[in-house]
Amino acid sequence: MQFDVAFALSTVPTILGAIGMTLLVAAVSCVGASAIGFGLELIRRSGGLGGLFVRFLIDFIRATPVLVWLYCLYFILPFYGIRLGALATGMIGLSLYYSGYLAEVFKAGIDAIPNGQAEAARALGIGRMDITIFVIAPQMLRNIAAPMGNYFVSILKATPYLAVLAVPEMLGRAFDIASETYRYAEPLTVAGLIFLGLALLISHAIKRLEIRLLGPTAR
Amino acid sequence: MSMLEIWLGILQGFRVTALVTLYGLVFAIPFGLIFGVAQYLTTGPARFVVTSVIEFWRSSAVIILLFVFYYALPLAGLALSAMTVSAMVLGLNIGGYASQAVRAGLQALDRGQKEAGHALGLSRATILLRIELPQALVAMSPTFINQLIQLVKATSLVSLVTLTDMTFRAKEISQIEYDPVPIYSSLLLAYFIVCYPVALFGRWVERRINPAREARRAV
Repeated sequence: MQFDVAFALSTVPTILGAIGMTLLVAAVSCVGASAIGFGLELIRRSGGLGGLFVRFLIDFIRATPVLVWLYCLYFILPFYGIRLGALATGMIGLSLYYSGYLAEVFKAGIDAIPNGQAEAARALGIGRMDITIFVIAPQMLRNIAAPMGNYFVSILKATPYLAVLAVPEMLGRAFDIASETYRYAEPLTVAGLIFLGLALLISHAIKRLEIRLLGPTAR
Repeated sequence: MSMLEIWLGILQGFRVTALVTLYGLVFAIPFGLIFGVAQYLTTGPARFVVTSVIEFWRSSAVIILLFVFYYALPLAGLALSAMTVSAMVLGLNIGGYASQAVRAGLQALDRGQKEAGHALGLSRATILLRIELPQALVAMSPTFINQLIQLVKATSLVSLVTLTDMTFRAKEISQIEYDPVPIYSSLLLAYFIVCYPVALFGRWVERRINPAREARRAV
């Protein structure tokens, strides 16, 4: 059997048709991972028993594979009567998994803000919640735009894992074509190239954004 | 099925997990070193070629790369074993990341290091091998250890191309007996037991090579 370029091209529209699903999964997971990650980091900073637990949870997530987390959620949740469907399970899995990585990014971003900022806000009588949202968070985001963007690209590149749970994103679509035609190389190569293009495009966009945020002297 | 049987079953897959990691390093280390140094030394069109190769391996989604090479290489007349393809794809993907650490480590060195070497009449190769690389590699060693953990975790993907690693064994066991909660939580724990000591070792190395930075962070 030979690599059939004409056949490969004929699979492009079908696979590209699932790009919406891929982007949806990526976008929801980026937002979810950021929100959970920020929450985890706030709990970790508050210390106490909760902080200790979160510290362990983050270390645990970072020492285990995302694929196994997806299997765990997919097979264990229904066992306890929680039926969410593959798509929701996948997005929750990616959000949870990458929240462990983003929490570390937020930690570095907050550590880099001088203590005086929070102290001054407290001296002005601003509430704790308001300090976090209006004083700490904006400065933190400026500090961490680059590593955060890198993890967003990682999340995008992790969306094809959901094909394992039979979510019809681009890799899943490619496998559908493969099992109908018994030709695997062509649709998979097409999916791979689309993903590569997408990842390069988005990393480039993030780099541009970073330069706009931090000025041309940014690393 | 008892907990002991589950653990013994997962343990049977440890050999493949370890082998893929080991063979993966055989690809990752030379690729990271050679391409990292090449990106540092080259300019113009040569640098563009080097960067393109690195970006291909680094920016592609590794799960798709694995499938593409697994299904497409035989069409090109290359019938490699699943083990070889997995080690190559996972290794070169991590090697792509490692090359960026090598290059960044070299670029971060003080220019005086190279200039002093030149002033002493050392050849460019000697400067690179005896002055620049040793310092850069030591400075970046925590990053390399992190990437080793990423590699171990990525080996869970080989379960999708028929290799009987820990993840594959866990799936097999759960097909024999539907008992997902202990099986998949044991699998998570198994990866944690493998990866966490490596993560702790990485932190220890980071403290050792950079006590000043650690001290600044503690203040």
